[in-house]
Amino acid sequence: MTHAHTPARPMLRMSAALLGSAAFAALLAAGPAAAAETHGQAGAKAAAAHLAAGKEDDPVVLEAPAINPRRVYVNDPAHFASLTQQYVIDGDTARVVGMTDSGFLPNPVVASDGSFFGQVSTTFERISRGKRTDYIEIFDPKTYKPTADIELPNAPRFLVGTYPWMTALTPNNKTLLFYQFSPSPAVGVVDLASKKFSRTISVPDCYHVFPVTDQTFFMHCRDGSLLKVAMGADGKDETAKTEVFRKENEYLINHPAYSPKNGRLVWPTYTGKIFQADLSSGEAKFLPAIEAFTDEEKKAGWAPGGWQQVAYHRGSDRIFLLGDQRAQWKHKAPSRFVFVIDAKTGKRVKKIEFGRDIDSVGVSQDAKPQLYALSTGEKTLFIYDPETGKETAAVNQLGHGPQVITTADM
Amino acid sequence: MRSLILAAALAVAPVGAALAADPIEVVSEAPSGGAEVKIAKMKFQTPEVKVKAGETVTWTNTEALPHNVHFKPGAGLEKDLEGPMLRANQTFTVKFNTAGTYNYICTPHPFMTGKVVVE
Ligand SMILES: [Cu+2]
Repeated sequence: MTHAHTPARPMLRMSAALLGSAAFAALLAAGPAAAAETHGQAGAKAAAAHLAAGKEDDPVVLEAPAINPRRVYVNDPAHFASLTQQYVIDGDTARVVGMTDSGFLPNPVVASDGSFFGQVSTTFERISRGKRTDYIEIFDPKTYKPTADIELPNAPRFLVGTYPWMTALTPNNKTLLFYQFSPSPAVGVVDLASKKFSRTISVPDCYHVFPVTDQTFFMHCRDGSLLKVAMGADGKDETAKTEVFRKENEYLINHPAYSPKNGRLVWPTYTGKIFQADLSSGEAKFLPAIEAFTDEEKKAGWAPGGWQQVAYHRGSDRIFLLGDQRAQWKHKAPSRFVFVIDAKTGKRVKKIEFGRDIDSVGVSQDAKPQLYALSTGEKTLFIYDPETGKETAAVNQLGHGPQVITTADM
Repeated sequence: MRSLILAAALAVAPVGAALAADPIEVVSEAPSGGAEVKIAKMKFQTPEVKVKAGETVTWTNTEALPHNVHFKPGAGLEKDLEGPMLRANQTFTVKFNTAGTYNYICTPHPFMTGKVVVE
């Protein structure tokens, strides 16, 4: 990895080591640097003033600033490397405020109130071979110290390119659910309160986990239905399928958007047909499907594409869908545009041109949200104002192949 | 290719004379009279077969998509018995020595399930 072309981050790390805590705290509190001044320049200025005032350096371990809805978690699966990392970014200042390490293809989770974040991860006793251990690690969002380490029996994790909804927290943030693919479809239940693996729920041939209540979640089945799973207090779990809501040749992408706060499931197909379900009542209500592209645009090759191709902003009821002109079966290639769609009417509100290849989108859930556009190739998170469509900041050097954006709907 | 797959199949069973204690064993040739299960359209076409102790079941993959037969522990089976992937028209035969119900899946397609009931 070369640092030559991007001096900002290494400078920050240096300043954290060199600066006295008071000076560094002042720098953190200063908020976004003026356009003319980089964080590095501001840090240098603060350090010089500190030195000129004759103050001594007092190195300390820093804590992250207080959490807010613009805390963005960027996970780097690192192209299937055995060891991976997650970057925690403060969207307001566009700065990395922490990092955590993890093993093979971890699944990140963030508590809906921001009170913790964590991951389901896998390590091996000899880096990538030897005894395998699957475990859950929970971190404190200020100190980044682990507050729980829960081992999962019999290595049950599904090792797959990171799909956010293969692992989920219940709304009360007390239970973690994770998917098991082999030897048979199942969902593992972990009680975070008692820090114990609870049990495995056998399910039919269904995928993904969308918690609706603390006792209920939905899945999407091979036959095109949703599965409702009601977790019984005594381990007597009940499952029931909904109607089949999509045709066999309507391929739903692996990265739907889901808002646990209003139970909205937003699920595009390869062609940009967007299925929506309202799960908030505990039963699936299917909303009229939306077409993101006109027939003419489809003929011209417009289609969704990327990794996390869709984001949903609950407050404004808007959908953000990555799209571009592409050949068929190039659905994992990045897109240069995001289409902003009114989820209720299906009308296109805006088309934002990134001018670069973007693989994943996310959106903060505050009233004036930030749009997050992650480039796996550039290893950079670009922050946009979705109202103006303008790029406001960027954070680079995010690992080897960053792919997953997670935010909390606080 | 065929011999490679056969070698892989033999590798999962104890080499040499079958131990009487093994409830099921992979055999290299299908004797006449055993049960047959065809694999097609992502399914074991006869998901439940009944045989008597000492009889065999032969699986034949009839499509281009590779499938296998993967027994899970249970019914006297202590360990997984994971058969080799079968290409189109390749077969896999198992002899069932002990009565019981033996559940199996296809390793890469765990939604493909079947069972052998041995009386
Ligand atoms: Cu199969």
